[in-house]
Amino acid sequence: MTKYIPTIGVECHVQLCTKTKLFSEVDNDARLKQPNSCVSPVDYGLPGMLPRLNGEAIKFAIRAGLALNAKINLESRFDRKHYYYPDLPKGYQITQMFHPIIGEGYVELPNGHKVRIEHAHLEEDAGKSSHESSYSLVDLNRAGTPLVEIVSQPDIHSAAEARDYAKELWRVMTYAGVTYGDLYNGNMRFDVNISVAPEDSTELGTRTEMKNLNSFRSVERAVEYEIKRQTKLLEKGEAVIQETRGWNEATGETTGQRSKEDAKDYRYMPEPDIPPICLDSADVEAEAANLPKMPSWYRQKFNNVLSQDLVEVLLDYPNLMAKLAELEGNQAATKKVANLFSSVLLAEENTSLLNDKLPTKEQLITLVEMNDNNELSSTATKEVFIKFFDPEMHYKETRTIAKELSVIQENDLGALEEIVNTVLEKPETQKAQSDFRAGQEKVLGFLVGQVMKESKGKANPSAVQKILREKLR
Amino acid sequence: MEVNQETIHHLAKLSNFALTASETARLVTDIKEIVGYISQLDQLETDGVEPTYQVFEMENVWRPDEILPQEADREALLALTAETRDYQIKVPKVL
Repeated sequence: MTKYIPTIGVECHVQLCTKTKLFSEVDNDARLKQPNSCVSPVDYGLPGMLPRLNGEAIKFAIRAGLALNAKINLESRFDRKHYYYPDLPKGYQITQMFHPIIGEGYVELPNGHKVRIEHAHLEEDAGKSSHESSYSLVDLNRAGTPLVEIVSQPDIHSAAEARDYAKELWRVMTYAGVTYGDLYNGNMRFDVNISVAPEDSTELGTRTEMKNLNSFRSVERAVEYEIKRQTKLLEKGEAVIQETRGWNEATGETTGQRSKEDAKDYRYMPEPDIPPICLDSADVEAEAANLPKMPSWYRQKFNNVLSQDLVEVLLDYPNLMAKLAELEGNQAATKKVANLFSSVLLAEENTSLLNDKLPTKEQLITLVEMNDNNELSSTATKEVFIKFFDPEMHYKETRTIAKELSVIQENDLGALEEIVNTVLEKPETQKAQSDFRAGQEKVLGFLVGQVMKESKGKANPSAVQKILREKLR
Repeated sequence: MEVNQETIHHLAKLSNFALTASETARLVTDIKEIVGYISQLDQLETDGVEPTYQVFEMENVWRPDEILPQEADREALLALTAETRDYQIKVPKVL
């Protein structure tokens, strides 16, 4: 039976988190704002209005491009893409069809596979329409929000890899700091192109497109469904129709929506209202100097220190990664802190602890040292660590917190020996002592417990056990 | 390129225009002439000629990323639309 190979390309729209919109001096953050409260005549497309290009959006686009390992085109221009839809009052979208600001690049997935970027360009978002039973409502708060649209090459060949790519794009863009990356609010939306072709075919099959997927999971599920659907059609000898299909999250199916417009139907033309962007290499270098470290940099850095799974978990939290990187060179501390982050801080019951105020490098290193020196048991280490996130405690030194919690273990052998002696003199321990001497190993636990009690829990149990064994020989 | 009734209907659909039969007929004539004129230009030798994107020779006209108060407020802008509901613009159902 013929094997069919899927080929997938992804276009991703990333909303940039500039203060104002791309072409108007209006608040670009419409979260929690009333409908149509962040609008101007420019966003309304009123006759006579002129777009005014936001210089910061250009810097953001450069940064996004660098994060994609891409060439920045020093000269770029805007074009008009014409189509009629109520959420686009001008009747055209200002985009970069012919001279995009970002050229070829690539995104490296966690498995090392590189997905090439064909190009990425700046454009304006449209408004938001919601559909009621007999009419639709339009909110233009989002109209004019700057977008970077990232167009991949068809380098993806499975649903899982499509998901990995979407997730890695999200990481790269949030690490670069160009978007809030809030998928629920549509900060990043994915359009996915899929075709399947027989393994030995030199040509790609007919493709379908699914637009506006807004989670990694729906990218994966939609691709999975579409691969199956298309493969089935081809196996029956039927043809795949080139069309846009809608993804239904609830039913887990795609359905045909409309046949795709020809590119010429968009009647592209140069945007005469906006002069070209002409950068020099210093503009690009300035952004490169400010570019935060990317996920692939962290992967490489922690490659031999932490497990790959742990790195992938922690990569969802850029500030935790940056904190780990501060522990530079101290591999043992990096390991312990990484484990505290994943097993304590990211544990279900502690998610509310995670905030912007992370412990300092000094607090963490002292914590690890105290644990290494047996001053803190592993339980006590976790207790102190949690207090780093307590608004009343977080500014205190590690040792101070440990003292306040009374969890520092007694390791002074002389002091421990005295406590052990006190316990061994007690009448209630005499029977256990003779039982142990007679070979009953398990009563040692009872004796250690008595010493712990006497020390008010501060003795280091393994040191106590050692002393007891010496004494009861 | 051939311009006929069908071309005009297609363009009208893309632009969301309703045209009468006489308007369509007139547009067939007009657009035929325009396309004919452009076709003449097409015959010019333009190899090595830089395209003219704009005539002002400006570049990098940018503004700072600062929110400015808008003269036209939401009410003024919504007043320009045919129908509103809950501060949104009400339009015939689209999908």
